[in-house]
Amino acid sequence: MCCSHSFENPPYPSDAKPETFDISAVKGMKFFDPHVHMTSRTTDDYQAMADAGVVALIEPAFWLGQPRTGLDSFRDYYSSLIGWERFRSSQFGIKHYCTIGLNSREANNEALAEQVMELLPLFVYKEGVVGVGEIGFDDQTAAEEKYYRAQLDLAKEAGLPVQVHTPHRDKKRGTQRSMDIAIEQGLDPYSVIIDHNNEETVKEVLDRGFWAAFTIYPFTKMGNQRMVEIVKQYGSERIMINSAADWGISDPLAVPKTAALMQQQGISLQDIELVTYRNAITAFAQSGQIDEADFGVNIDQSAKFAGNSILRGGQQPRIDKSSIIIS
Amino acid sequence: MFGYDVQALRKLLSAILQQNNTADAWTWLSKQGDINNVAAFNAAFVMMPRKTGKVVVSITSEQKAQLNTIRPGFNIAGWTAERLGRVFLFIQADAKYQEHYIKTIENLFLAGEMKELVALYSALPVLAYPESWIKRCAEGIRSNIGIVLEAIMYHNPYPSEHLSEDAWNQLVMKAIFTEKDLGQITGLQERNNPELVRILLDHARERGAAGRTVVPELWQLSEPIVGAAAIADLKQQYSLN
Repeated sequence: MCCSHSFENPPYPSDAKPETFDISAVKGMKFFDPHVHMTSRTTDDYQAMADAGVVALIEPAFWLGQPRTGLDSFRDYYSSLIGWERFRSSQFGIKHYCTIGLNSREANNEALAEQVMELLPLFVYKEGVVGVGEIGFDDQTAAEEKYYRAQLDLAKEAGLPVQVHTPHRDKKRGTQRSMDIAIEQGLDPYSVIIDHNNEETVKEVLDRGFWAAFTIYPFTKMGNQRMVEIVKQYGSERIMINSAADWGISDPLAVPKTAALMQQQGISLQDIELVTYRNAITAFAQSGQIDEADFGVNIDQSAKFAGNSILRGGQQPRIDKSSIIIS
Repeated sequence: MFGYDVQALRKLLSAILQQNNTADAWTWLSKQGDINNVAAFNAAFVMMPRKTGKVVVSITSEQKAQLNTIRPGFNIAGWTAERLGRVFLFIQADAKYQEHYIKTIENLFLAGEMKELVALYSALPVLAYPESWIKRCAEGIRSNIGIVLEAIMYHNPYPSEHLSEDAWNQLVMKAIFTEKDLGQITGLQERNNPELVRILLDHARERGAAGRTVVPELWQLSEPIVGAAAIADLKQQYSLN
């Protein structure tokens, strides 16, 4: 649930012609996108991400754009994150992790939320589940607070990091409350990643010892030029960036593009590596579920070569998109 | 209820797992598998890789032969420790209460992570009440996850022993469409049938019409049923390999 923007009157950038993203600027670099909803994306996106150097990602469980009406929909969604989507990603050489949780919007359906809470322990201990997320506040209702606290308890019990979604409306206050409550529930700020920060929230998040994640998302969240300024001001410690790309107008290449922009504007390579790769790994590897040796290589050779259902039918893995001929 | 000597299999797999695990991991694993405590049973199943690791299990050729004697066709070559550990849980489980046993295992399928699904489908030939898993096996063939399909198709005696002809034919066609190695399918020759060959030859015509090739096993399965002359005609008509 990273975005709730309106599709009316898309605010097109006012400047004339933007500079083109030159993928060679980040050639040889590796990226980790710790928040991206691949379920909503196409294979073209996977291909482009792999080409741009994304070697691993985290897909947080979120709201699907409309409310689910029954428990089985939640179960099937969680299953898809550890099953089909994980496999789909592996076919492009990208290691797929996920966080599992009840998102804040759907926490407001209390009858269903109670059932989901009973289901969560079945999933949070699964291999490759690197945290509880994305959880937190949307409307900042009493029900949202109740299930946020309950899931913080679950994370603590399971020894997992927490990925906290912060609200769009009344953001600063919501972010403060999210941190207050995490501390009240006894979590170490170092195990909590506060997501969707901006210039107004970042200082307090860092000062209190939490991880500060930034979502580079057009129109509604951070732009990457602003992100460059933040890194110039705050440095790279406990800061990470993500795309939160989903079913809205978003960009799955946000992390590599921001790295390229940072490089262009004189941020050191070491700082770029920390905010686009290393910090996210350090934070989420507290789950014990991330092994860098798994990145970029397909441990299951069978999955890559023989188990190829996306590339079925003997097609070449690559298609020539510029050609009118489809064979 | 198992259709094979489950005590002997427990003993042999215990020995193999003990050899392939640390003392701590084996001490833990040897105490798991009480299916009448569902929460603990599920937890052990899920946390298996944390305990056993994921290295490929090594077995002696004698052990391999023993496995094949106890449960013909059952082959764990290339399995990882967590896969074998998970299958071991089902063999340890008390299968006396049929409904409970089936429901508990079926629920694991419903929330299975990729490698959990691999272990679950790998376990089909050694589960109790073998007739109860036929629909589950057919459902698994509908998966599009490569390693799950391979767990069902490769060196697994369950499908050829239990699937109906329709489901078996679906398995073979799915293997072809997902570019699997047909040579690793247990029972491929034994379960060959005229209806499968009809489907295979229709498939060959489609492929030929599209200017594509077919796998050689397709001809090997077809020839005993329709004869070499018919195959040669078809190949020529569609310019097939």
